[in-house]
Amino acid sequence: MPRFALLLLCCLLTACVFGRQDTNDPLDAVTIRGFVPGTTTAREVVERLGAPSDVVQLARRTAYRYDAASTKSTFLALIVVNFGNQDTRSDRLWLFFDEKDVLTHYGASFGTHRTQYALPWEDVHETADNEVRDAARAGVQQR
Amino acid sequence: MSRACLATAMVGLLPGCFSLDYNRMNVGEPVADATLQALRPGRDSLADCLRALGAPEFVYEHRTSGIALLWFWKETAGWGFELSSPSDDVPASLSLELEGAELPGCMLWFGPDLLLERWRLGTIGDLLRDRVRPTLVDG
Repeated sequence: MPRFALLLLCCLLTACVFGRQDTNDPLDAVTIRGFVPGTTTAREVVERLGAPSDVVQLARRTAYRYDAASTKSTFLALIVVNFGNQDTRSDRLWLFFDEKDVLTHYGASFGTHRTQYALPWEDVHETADNEVRDAARAGVQQR
Repeated sequence: MSRACLATAMVGLLPGCFSLDYNRMNVGEPVADATLQALRPGRDSLADCLRALGAPEFVYEHRTSGIALLWFWKETAGWGFELSSPSDDVPASLSLELEGAELPGCMLWFGPDLLLERWRLGTIGDLLRDRVRPTLVDG
């Protein structure tokens, strides 16, 4: 019987899989907070953040998109019954420029630091949990 | 002992032809209904809405000189099973996913003055249905 238990334990040892996939570096929230509508130009934005991932023409306006994403995957394989969880959060920044390439508006969301490993029955992204993670990332809590 | 080993081996081989899965997938964070209800069409500006909702997923041109913003997210959880057979005489494989199909989202439309015209909650397919390619006539 102990041999059987050992064999079963060896089977279960291979049951947990963790995976992580990141797309682009997280956006620099402190730099983004320094942008001033009416003053900052598209050239200054590109000098600080690099090339945008997308540019959309909006009649005489333009909008630049910057983004990053983080995915954490957890998989528990119990021989016949398997449990999987995949959590993806992203940083997004949209900057709107007028026809003279001066910043008029911007919207930013920061979420890559909130991604978590979890099993499907676990509660994640509770408000208190998010607040702790936001506090640990510079520039995020000023929204 | 040999029976126990045989039973263990059989259980170990079972996933090769049958598996039951429970998967949950979260992508992005839903926009709270209360946040949307608090928006005031005709009064809120693009800046107000970006402050309240953060950055959208996509930005589109709306009626030549306006703007439309789209947010979407995914929160699915459900059971699925997979059945497969090594024999050509038996139907090869069967899989079933009991998960949500269409992504929920919300869209905000702004006029040329960048004031909020309207907003709508729905699936991406519904929200993008009325979108047409913009045409700018410079006179």
